[in-house]
Amino acid sequence: MTDVRRRLAVSMLVFGSLAFLAVIGAPLLGTTPIRLARVFDRSIPFADNVDAQIFFIARLPRALAGALVGATLAAAGVVFQALLRNPLATPFTLGVSAGAALGAMLAITMRLHLSLWGVSAVTAASFIGSLCAVGIVYAMARARHHGFSTNILLLAGVTLNSFFSALILFVQYLADSAEALRTMRWLMGDLDVAGYGPLLAALPLCIVAFVAFAWLPRALNLLSLDTDAAASRGVNVLRVQRVAFFSASMATGAAVSLGGPIGFIGIIIPHLVRLMVGADHRIVLPASALVGAAFLVAADVVARTAMAPVELPVGIITALIGGPFFLWLLVRQR
Amino acid sequence: MKLGAGGWGLGTGGSGLGARDSGLRIRLTAAVLALVLLVSAPDARRAVAARTVESGHAPTRIISLVPSATEMLFAIGAGPRVVAVSSYDRYPPEVDRLPRVGALVDPDVERILSLRPDLVIAYSSQTDFLAQLERARIPVYLYRHGSLADITRGMRDLGSRVDLAAEAGAAAARIDSGLADIRIRLAGKRRPRTMLVIGREPQSLRAIHVSGGYGFLHDLLDLAGGDNLFADVKRESMMVATETILARAPEVIIELHYSDTASREAEALERKAWRLLPGVPAVKNGRIYLLYGGELVVPGPRVVLTAQAFARALHPDVLPHQEAVRVIPQDGLLDRK
Amino acid sequence: MLRADNVTYVHDRGRGRMAVVAQGFSPAKTDLHTGSTSATPALPGVQDVSVAIERGNVVGILGPNGCGKTTLLRLLAGMLQPEAGTVTLNGANLASIARAALARFIAVVPQETHLAFDYSVLEIALMGRYPHLGTFELEGPRDVAIAREALAATGTAALEHRLFATLSGGEKQRVVIASALAQQAEILLLDEPTASLDLGYQFDIAHLLARLNRERGLTIVVATHDLNFAAGLCGSLVMVSEGRVVAAGPTGDTLTSMSIQALYGVVADVYPHHAAGHLTVVPLRRIRRD
Repeated sequence: MTDVRRRLAVSMLVFGSLAFLAVIGAPLLGTTPIRLARVFDRSIPFADNVDAQIFFIARLPRALAGALVGATLAAAGVVFQALLRNPLATPFTLGVSAGAALGAMLAITMRLHLSLWGVSAVTAASFIGSLCAVGIVYAMARARHHGFSTNILLLAGVTLNSFFSALILFVQYLADSAEALRTMRWLMGDLDVAGYGPLLAALPLCIVAFVAFAWLPRALNLLSLDTDAAASRGVNVLRVQRVAFFSASMATGAAVSLGGPIGFIGIIIPHLVRLMVGADHRIVLPASALVGAAFLVAADVVARTAMAPVELPVGIITALIGGPFFLWLLVRQR
Repeated sequence: MKLGAGGWGLGTGGSGLGARDSGLRIRLTAAVLALVLLVSAPDARRAVAARTVESGHAPTRIISLVPSATEMLFAIGAGPRVVAVSSYDRYPPEVDRLPRVGALVDPDVERILSLRPDLVIAYSSQTDFLAQLERARIPVYLYRHGSLADITRGMRDLGSRVDLAAEAGAAAARIDSGLADIRIRLAGKRRPRTMLVIGREPQSLRAIHVSGGYGFLHDLLDLAGGDNLFADVKRESMMVATETILARAPEVIIELHYSDTASREAEALERKAWRLLPGVPAVKNGRIYLLYGGELVVPGPRVVLTAQAFARALHPDVLPHQEAVRVIPQDGLLDRK
Repeated sequence: MLRADNVTYVHDRGRGRMAVVAQGFSPAKTDLHTGSTSATPALPGVQDVSVAIERGNVVGILGPNGCGKTTLLRLLAGMLQPEAGTVTLNGANLASIARAALARFIAVVPQETHLAFDYSVLEIALMGRYPHLGTFELEGPRDVAIAREALAATGTAALEHRLFATLSGGEKQRVVIASALAQQAEILLLDEPTASLDLGYQFDIAHLLARLNRERGLTIVVATHDLNFAAGLCGSLVMVSEGRVVAAGPTGDTLTSMSIQALYGVVADVYPHHAAGHLTVVPLRRIRRD
């Protein structure tokens, strides 16, 4: 078996097990001890079975949400880093999460009271905000030529980030104090979805994105080498760039709408995985998704148990871990 | 205001916006402090750097940045002496005619100075602003946030500061007796385990914030014959997970909403959100009470009304429960001059 | 045979700034926070260019910077679509050949390669095999063998497990050539292969290319502004100036003082150097043009 096949198989096995264990283990952990036997005891009516309620209504959706958001953000991070040919790129670099945040802020401060298909106004508004950001950035990157300039993409994204961040601060400032606090909390990330509705709403888009992610890795290898090198090896550069941009952006938008802009996953997981498996995107992309899922689920367990019953925002946990790790990475590269 | 960040860049911070339009939104003194205090140590509230400047005579031009202090002033008869209020003041109706000079984070110093006050009521945490006032030799009264007992204590203190000690004493006594009345009527009643929700995402159960075992809302709940589900957490406000609610199984849920009214549809939708947790006793037995009103979180003279609302929700047999929308009558202050 | 007939390409609409990556600019150098980029010149076009490259030849495309050498090379590689005229490979229009299939015939070696990530030398060489793999197929033992053989052919077999970023300029260029070799294409296009290399490495590349042409019958097209390098390596030359071909033919016929003067505005002496075994160019003085 060739080296890459072997490494892919081993990675999938190891990281897949990790992710699986995290997702099934997390619902069992928490400040309230629950017994697995009782959870699955059919003789007790559900409305009376607190253990089962905690497992199925509170913890399991939360673990699944953590896995979905973690996998999506990590994979999107890999794709963006390859697209922009910059290992410092994150899923939030191009302004998608700023757009989502602005949408959420507006929904919170305008006290929108709608919900569609089990999805609250805040979630829906943040997704629409992310779509707007994606559209604006893409339009700007295309404006000057029919092609696709990643330089302009980057500039457009950074500009949009700054602009939306200023708008967000403005909205926050005008907001009621209670709403201002709610917006602040939203920005720190929250995976307590309380039910499967929001998960199911985000799932279709993530599945579509992951299908694209399955197709991209080989092209990403070549793209991160050189666009001409990629073209001369048979890659349709324009198509790959578009697919990469849209799939990663939409996936990020869905993930941020579901759990808020949880930072550092999109950058530390790809780096960590590359340290372990090398730079080949055919391994890095799926491995990052699995490691990202496991990592966020674990971080969420910490978030809900460290200061119980007070809920710590999961974004703080990822930042506390991610910040020092990132510094270490930068120092190491000297 | 700082943003918790997730890795994307932040834009420029904003500076003070200046005077606001009156009557825009309900502003919540207690919520401002309570929630700002979430991110500051409890002791910091007491750490005041500015010295207050005392003047020799009773102040006649008072500016209040603290809505609960404004209500107190009006309750003790100092209303006519108030020349400006904060952006968040909504009660009593007289304040609608008064100029607005900002609030906790954005006091409009220029406007304040131009109104030539001889007393400014401000928060003890506004250290920069207080230093500016001291330089301008303007007397300051510092508002201190605290428990339920601190409200009447503060009222008496404020009364003596504005030379209306007797009236303040009388008003405070009325509040005390109103609260005592409720306590007495509910003495000996079984105290249901109650979760006091002070905020959540509309129509969903995400980002639920509750009152912890600290602060005047907790004290009111306690007085109204309820056992705060989170009395063990010594914080005024905290976010709780779904799991915790399921585990602690509240018998009663009281939700506070700060707009004055809500349509029946909106109220029904908010109630419906709780159906995600059918096993919680409060949901099972239909004991979810939605309270509406701006005064719900102002630690001022109208706390008796809030206490009554709580009591009605917790012990409907003792005090009949009115429909959730607009529990408090329009003219809600007890005895004003 | 690779032919370009009456090809015209006025400006590079399709790729914009991406197009200049081949000339050494890398988006990875863009500062993330200020978004600053180095200035990139617009890619020049070519007008009415006709070129025919026979199998097994080594052809040099010569001309001053900005004359359209790279554009011509990219047209020949099928990376640009001509606005007028056709580029054909063995009679078939390049535009009608699928990209992956084309990659099995033509391999391109860019001037500089800047990696965003830490690939190993073998991984880079294996990337040359991608045009031969199915959509989700991973390379098999045969592909690895071909890649290793390509590395051996360029003298870089010992570097197999090194990280590409740690290599010297000459080693990097040889690895990139090995990657192109792994494509098993019959035509190799190189854009300024020696531009950033030391003299010693320039020799290495020249010898390597000559050997590949001799031993494997590879058709090689080199765009360069190094006259001596072209003189030593190429059997025929195409001289391009301001987007037009001013001379084309065997090196001996085209590389003359007059053509150099016309192309570069330099008076030079061109003569066969006995020890070197090929024509050499010695620049003498500059002629001021208008």
